[in-house]
Amino acid sequence: MAIVATSGLTKRYPGATALDSLDLEIKPGIVGLVGANGAGKSTLLKILLGLLEPTSGSASVLGFDALNERAELHQFVGYMPEHDCLPLDMTATEFVAHMAQVSGLPRSAARERTAETLRHVGLFEERYREMRGYSTGMKQRVKLAQALVHDPKVMLLDEPTNGLDPAGRDDMLDLVRRIGVDFGISIIMSSHLLNEIERVCDHLVLIDAGRLVQSAAVATFTGETGVLAVEVDDGVDELERRLTGSGLRAARQGRLVMVALEGGTGAYDLIRDAAAEMEVGLVKLQQRRQSLEDLFRQGEDGNDNGA
Amino acid sequence: MTTEPERAGSIYDLGYRSYGGTRLGRRHAVRTVYVESLRSAFGLGRRASSKVIPVILLVIVLLPAAVHLGIAAASRQQMDIVKPEDYSSFVEVILALFVAAQAPELAGRDQRNRTLSLYFSRAIERRDYALAKLGALVSAMLVLTLVPQAVLFVGNAFTTNDALEYLREDAANVPRVLASSVLVSGLCASVALAIASRTPRRAYATGGIIAIFVGSAAIGGILDATVGRYGIMVSLFDLMTGATYWIFSAEHEYEVATELMFAAVVGVTAISVGLILRRYERIPA
Repeated sequence: MAIVATSGLTKRYPGATALDSLDLEIKPGIVGLVGANGAGKSTLLKILLGLLEPTSGSASVLGFDALNERAELHQFVGYMPEHDCLPLDMTATEFVAHMAQVSGLPRSAARERTAETLRHVGLFEERYREMRGYSTGMKQRVKLAQALVHDPKVMLLDEPTNGLDPAGRDDMLDLVRRIGVDFGISIIMSSHLLNEIERVCDHLVLIDAGRLVQSAAVATFTGETGVLAVEVDDGVDELERRLTGSGLRAARQGRLVMVALEGGTGAYDLIRDAAAEMEVGLVKLQQRRQSLEDLFRQGEDGNDNGA
Repeated sequence: MTTEPERAGSIYDLGYRSYGGTRLGRRHAVRTVYVESLRSAFGLGRRASSKVIPVILLVIVLLPAAVHLGIAAASRQQMDIVKPEDYSSFVEVILALFVAAQAPELAGRDQRNRTLSLYFSRAIERRDYALAKLGALVSAMLVLTLVPQAVLFVGNAFTTNDALEYLREDAANVPRVLASSVLVSGLCASVALAIASRTPRRAYATGGIIAIFVGSAAIGGILDATVGRYGIMVSLFDLMTGATYWIFSAEHEYEVATELMFAAVVGVTAISVGLILRRYERIPA
């Protein structure tokens, strides 16, 4: 069953269209929602949570209508907004326990799960202190904890690494991945950084200007390409010349020579022989993996052409 | 410096437990917001500085009852200095100050901290949230209006010569005290919350609430003296006093029928509640 399904979902603001007749189906798992700033990611998440009413079309989450059945739905959804949302004069424990109760958990269960959840996100003694003194990383952890405390079936995370330094970013991504894989909770995570999605998510949904550009497994985009990257310890230019001379399509790119793998694996032998004749060391011989960046660039190009 | 990276590593060893217990849903969620808001109206569960203003105002509201009972005890006879129907007119400025100070705490705080999206994505509807906040402020006001009356009632019974006789006579006043307290609390809370819910800024909200109570009284007085006797109907303070007199069937000096003032209080309260609900229906989250 799809955890999220939208049909003809449209959201217009005066003077702007945030979502443009979006048809989407998202299966359980860890899903990355990618798009440039203003692509409609936050709007989509807010509609799925019933925080915004769509102009037209419909959306459902876990089989519940996002607007008309939100009271039932909200017991099973966790939401981490992009913006600050913490009352800084409360302690993390008080706040998360309060939020757990507002999600419908009895008081005692709320307290118990608050302690566990804060431990899972890596907050320890500091959870008894006012959040006023927390670092950005700690605040993000509390935001994540309040979305997790009531054991939702799906979590919607809006730019969870926003404002974090590289180490904090790594921690947060590990946590998200762990919640998805080990805790078995479906996750929809928005980001404008493709390498984050690549690291954490199994599935990718790319939207641009409120329209669906791509929806597919992340692996499809990051598969091997038909390009070999060759690194030698000397004579890059000569290697390029020799390989071109033996009929391969080769091009220098920095310290590497890129060789097209066309018509079988004969290229491997030619490269080995060329390096042997030049008497240089072959440092690296690697089939290049495509990155999501390439895909994003293609998407943008496509739009430019269309416009 | 904290040692977050190490800690982040060690947490992976603890298993996650899913929650199979009961989920109490919407009613529990609403009650949670109500209780938390009522507590915060008196600064409970907040830092000590948040308790100062509500506690001071609560003490001042008790002063007329305390003074009355003190004199009665000293003179060893039942006194008629402070009558139940007059109580709210003695302290109405303090009641207005209380909602001016605390309504922004209830309505503005979640807007200021941008917590609303967390509430509205949980087992609570926008309308539920608004009503829980209003209910909490009305309840807090009931504490301020009923506790002094209770003190007065019990105190009078003790200082009188015949406690039983007093209780029998004054028991008739109990429903009136309750009704007038609900009325006064409802008006103050709904007007204040209608204003406070418009802005995350505490200072604006507090200023606006004081302005509408004091301003309406000033304008009402001027209109009463210039345009005509119905001018007094503009003043929220006078409306509360008049409506209370009507409930007690008490003597008064208003030149306007007090049932009209009672109707006006109900009307203003209803409009304010409507404004609160509309605001929370539309507030961006």
